[in-house]
Amino acid sequence: MADLQDHIPPTTEVGEDDGLRDGSPPVPAPFDRGYEPPGELLERAHTLLAAHPVADGYSGLPWALGNLPWYDLELGEAAVDTDLPRMRQGHVGALFWSLHLPDKAQDGRTTAATLEQLDTARTVIENHQEGLRLVRTSGQVVDSHNCGRVAVVLGPAHAAALDDSLGILRILHALGLRVLTLAGTTWAGLSGLSRFGEEVVREMNRLGVLADLSGASPATAERTLVLSRTPVLCTRSAARDLRPHPANLPDDLLAALGAAKGLCMVPLTAEQTGPTVPDVADHLDHVRDVAGPECVGLSGTYDSGAVHPRELTDASRYPHLIAELLRRGWSETELSLLTWGNVQRVLRSADFMARAAQQRREASTARITDLDAP
Amino acid sequence: MTAVADLDEARALLREFPVVDGHNDLPWALRKQAGYDLDALDIAGDRHEHLHTDIPRLREGGVGAQYWSVYVPCEQPDPVAATLEQIDCVRRLLTRYAADLAPALTAAGMEAARRDGRIASLMGAEGGHSIANSLGTLRGLHALGVRYMTLTHNSNVDWADSATDEPSTGGLSAFGREVVAEMNRLGMLVDLSHVAATTMRDALDATSAPVIFSHSSARAVCDHPRNIPDDVLERLPANGGVAMVTFVPKFVLQAAVEWTAAADENMRAHGLHHLDTSPEAMKIHRAFEERTPRPVATVSTVADHLDHMREAAGIDHLGIGGDYDGTAFTPDGLNDVSGYPNLLAELLDRGWSRTDLAKLTWQNAVRVLGAAEDVARDLQATRAPSLATIEALDG
Repeated sequence: MADLQDHIPPTTEVGEDDGLRDGSPPVPAPFDRGYEPPGELLERAHTLLAAHPVADGYSGLPWALGNLPWYDLELGEAAVDTDLPRMRQGHVGALFWSLHLPDKAQDGRTTAATLEQLDTARTVIENHQEGLRLVRTSGQVVDSHNCGRVAVVLGPAHAAALDDSLGILRILHALGLRVLTLAGTTWAGLSGLSRFGEEVVREMNRLGVLADLSGASPATAERTLVLSRTPVLCTRSAARDLRPHPANLPDDLLAALGAAKGLCMVPLTAEQTGPTVPDVADHLDHVRDVAGPECVGLSGTYDSGAVHPRELTDASRYPHLIAELLRRGWSETELSLLTWGNVQRVLRSADFMARAAQQRREASTARITDLDAP
Repeated sequence: MTAVADLDEARALLREFPVVDGHNDLPWALRKQAGYDLDALDIAGDRHEHLHTDIPRLREGGVGAQYWSVYVPCEQPDPVAATLEQIDCVRRLLTRYAADLAPALTAAGMEAARRDGRIASLMGAEGGHSIANSLGTLRGLHALGVRYMTLTHNSNVDWADSATDEPSTGGLSAFGREVVAEMNRLGMLVDLSHVAATTMRDALDATSAPVIFSHSSARAVCDHPRNIPDDVLERLPANGGVAMVTFVPKFVLQAAVEWTAAADENMRAHGLHHLDTSPEAMKIHRAFEERTPRPVATVSTVADHLDHMREAAGIDHLGIGGDYDGTAFTPDGLNDVSGYPNLLAELLDRGWSRTDLAKLTWQNAVRVLGAAEDVARDLQATRAPSLATIEALDG
């Protein structure tokens, strides 16, 4: 009888890689760099992405749209790299919308400028209710995907947007912010997290705001990995070993990120990963090998002003990248984690941690003037 | 002296139609006195030594809805950031005292809180400096629950003149009118307390929704720029708005206006800001008071204003905005938020009917927010969020 077998096969947590190869074996043929994937691989990539869409870790769309006099993402918008037809073609299921302010002239009014960015984002989403949905939790991401909408998660925002205040962190979270980049302030600078900076990370955990370590100083990154009770993100980081860009992560940090079950989201930019699809795939291979398949993700970085690899010029091109990874022998489980599963895990963990922490802790009233007094 | 019977009747009335108060500065007091540490200054108990406001006294005073002011001073280096911290304070109060304070965003929310026996809690921003000339920020404040914005505080903003500053724009600028239009679209009440009479008139011309005065009295009774001139009060019936009478002695009592001018001069002579309420400043203030006795306003002073405002604007356009915890002195009998029954008893004594008082305390204020919501619903069907900038409109 089937239910009385002697050997119960070991089970793994749902979504975890069980080490088993699934699907058909990899295509061994060596391709030239820049080669179009054969139809069969592309077809498999589409099938895979239909079940496990892309959760894209960084999009500059709100800022890009803010500079346009008129746009319609539902019809298609040539002035930007991201619109609904192309997101559907590329199987984008979720998108992190950056609230970064590219203009340093915003100094002194970063908070107001971030509120304006949030307002733009909300307006764009309201105007495209057939395609986009503003989400706050991992459950809402799934819900939105089931309804055929692209889930928009707000963040990352600059740490400077907090104006050194935990109250403002709570307010930005109340407006939907889910990711904060820990760099560029006195409390998260080159020398790492100050006492106030540590309190910011604790309050982020309590609220469910994810820490983004792309661009953070090594000291800040190391301390945050130790301190954070929930996995962190690097929204735009590739492998320093392959390309010496300052936002790329050295192997030791990648390994530490892997140990903490954080997520390195590899940007599709010529500057950080290289000018071709195989270059990007090399980075993904490397991050997977060093940090682990549960710690690698994708970051389109579209509409942020970056130059993209030749075959990955807009949000519709993800299947080409997945086809290349299939060719390299990535298992379907690994790919499903890469595109969707890992982001879901990190969001869900933060949601859970926040719910638990809010039972135990009241909002922190710590002030930078008290904690970081010289 | 008011009869005990009147006071009992006032209390009974307030149980049915509690007070909607237009302005209370508890958040700023908590920031100044406790650094927002809600444990240090726990309003669940009696805090009369530090504050005009705590929950037992709100209950005693028959308060059923409160607009908590998320005020920051005009001189604040980053007013938007500080305003967000004030909003955070109110949100934390609502979480902490959820059994007594009910978050309310709409007229229906206010009624629901009244049915629950909780105090409906709304937010008002005090001064256009809180949006830093940005309509996106205005929408952000609305999304966070702010339901009125006073167009200016004590200083002018780039697009509107204050009652207590030198005339500069001469009312509202083109961008100022756009701010009013966007507030109409959002359903955020336009508050005309603190603004110059020119701004009041321009705003009444520009608005398509009823306006409020969250804490202002009648200029005909006491000639102070913070009060409302009769020609403006007379426009309220057409506009549908509500003027919420304030108790601040230096605005309502002519003798106190003059005394305050002398006291302010004394503060400045000691090198202090005249609105400073820190312990040291209050010490200097008290010393001055010993030399020059302070004229005392009473319940009757405030009732005089209401009688006049009723003549000028009509019973459907009156409300109450005490400005507690935003002023150093209060009238006798209206010493803190527990005092509202005394005002109602005085009005009963003057022959105000129960119907009149229900309008004054509850119905008018709830109606005006509901009317703003109706206007907003209509406007949102036809108008997109305004992307106007002050540079484009005011050059």
